[in-house]
Amino acid sequence: MKVRFENVSFTYDTRTALKNVSCEFDSGRTILVVGHNGSGKSTFLKLMNGILKPTVGRITLGETITDGKRTSELARLCALSFQNPDDQLFAQTVKKELRFGIDNIGRGDGLFDSIVDTLHLAEHLKSNPYSLMYALRRLVTIGGSAAMGTPILALDEPTAGLSLREKKYLGTLLAFLKARGTTVVMVTHDLNFLLPYADDMLLLSHGEAQFSGERDRLFAGKDARDLMRRAGIGYPAYARISSALDLELPAFSAEEIVECLKKKRAGTTRRTNGRHQLEGA
Amino acid sequence: MKIVSLTEFSLSYTKDSPPALNGINFDLNSRESVVVSGLSGSGKSTLCLAIAGLTETFPAMTFKGVIRRSDGANGERARVGIVLQNFYSQITYLRSTVMEEIAFSCENLGLPRQETVRRVSEAIDMVRIGHLADRSPLELSGGEKQKVVLAAAIAGKPDLLVLDEPLSQLDPESTAYLGGVLTELKREMALLIAENDPYFILKVADRLVVLSEGKIVADGPPEEAITRSSVAYLDLPAWTMCVAKADEEGITRENRQAPPYELNYRKAISALKGPN
Repeated sequence: MKVRFENVSFTYDTRTALKNVSCEFDSGRTILVVGHNGSGKSTFLKLMNGILKPTVGRITLGETITDGKRTSELARLCALSFQNPDDQLFAQTVKKELRFGIDNIGRGDGLFDSIVDTLHLAEHLKSNPYSLMYALRRLVTIGGSAAMGTPILALDEPTAGLSLREKKYLGTLLAFLKARGTTVVMVTHDLNFLLPYADDMLLLSHGEAQFSGERDRLFAGKDARDLMRRAGIGYPAYARISSALDLELPAFSAEEIVECLKKKRAGTTRRTNGRHQLEGA
Repeated sequence: MKIVSLTEFSLSYTKDSPPALNGINFDLNSRESVVVSGLSGSGKSTLCLAIAGLTETFPAMTFKGVIRRSDGANGERARVGIVLQNFYSQITYLRSTVMEEIAFSCENLGLPRQETVRRVSEAIDMVRIGHLADRSPLELSGGEKQKVVLAAAIAGKPDLLVLDEPLSQLDPESTAYLGGVLTELKREMALLIAENDPYFILKVADRLVVLSEGKIVADGPPEEAITRSSVAYLDLPAWTMCVAKADEEGITRENRQAPPYELNYRKAISALKGPN
């Protein structure tokens, strides 16, 4: 489902957290919202899911304008997993926690089992969520939101507190949601892990959108480094390595970089062989 | 001087649960920075809590072995400051501004007003949150709250500062900056930090301790502790991953003098550039 912000501003009491943000993301895209601490990232997600309503401007999810809609109605379109898992958990067992959203919006399309498998939560279903370690508490909140099967899923810092193992589970979940056509919007600082999954990016700085659009367009731009530095997030390590290796375009994982290197070498070798043949002839 | 020393230390949260720490032998010296890494559930947080003396309050906890805390310089017990993994729970919300929230830690140490004011302003500068000083802790973002709790812990000037995933909500620029701050701080206090961020580890850690299932599987300077046997539990820097992948595909420069995991950025780039 499509997400559109038109000139959206939001003010908490006296402090303006988002200023005149306009952006549009197509259905089924994976979007990273990045920026410095306090740049308005979490506010952006809460506006999308209707926990907060814009002070000025209009937000459209698919064909639905959020203004005047109750948060409970918007929750059918966009599920949100909170930055702090302990703000979200409340059920007595992991199973109840994971089922709460689905049961309340009345969908039962077998998604529950896939989510439990993908996130490896089967052995914890009977546990009290509060007795689990932090990384698992986070997976449970992500799973509970994803299991609702909403066309849009918003995740606030999904990798925070996860180790290598759970990050891989999250990666599998993202691939699964992509295949289902879910629009996934994630607030993150973990570009090294999440950039390979991203289609689009939104860069926020002091509440203003510095860039919104395709990931590859951001990185192809001459001002990419500058934009990212100003947004307080620095230039991602794999992109920096790509440029040190003179790759034409930045790559976002070790696998991609090694692939590019192999192609580049193959290209160079072919050219060299060609010249030798020419000389031989 | 040893601040804390664990000998054959094991700990279970309840009588029936498997040990969260299992036969740990570990000394922490003053002015040493130790980073503890490992998968979730490996015992990182438990080690932090045990060393800070907080597991002693868990009702059903059982332990074996010895944990010995040495005395501080004036014959007092070495003082510990901690930032918990769930740092949200550490903000009192009893005070109306960030500055007062940070002062709370000094007030509880019974410091005179002048000293409190000095330490609070130092800590605020050090963590770079001057712009938040007069704001209400209630209206801060997650990352901003994490910085406030860190500043409060620093203002207490403990002999040992324990940080459980202190970067979890910080933006990359703050993360890089904080690495520098902690490198400075270790001149004054010992640091024990549970963290998996490889860039941070290379910058801050004198020693890297890798845990798996409650046991120490590696302990030493990062370049010695990151080995074929510990690497399954660790995040590695992007360039190290690239070299490892390139080695696997046989496209690194010939005769690369291999450490299997190249942690140095320049050397990694040069290995990747290949034969030319």
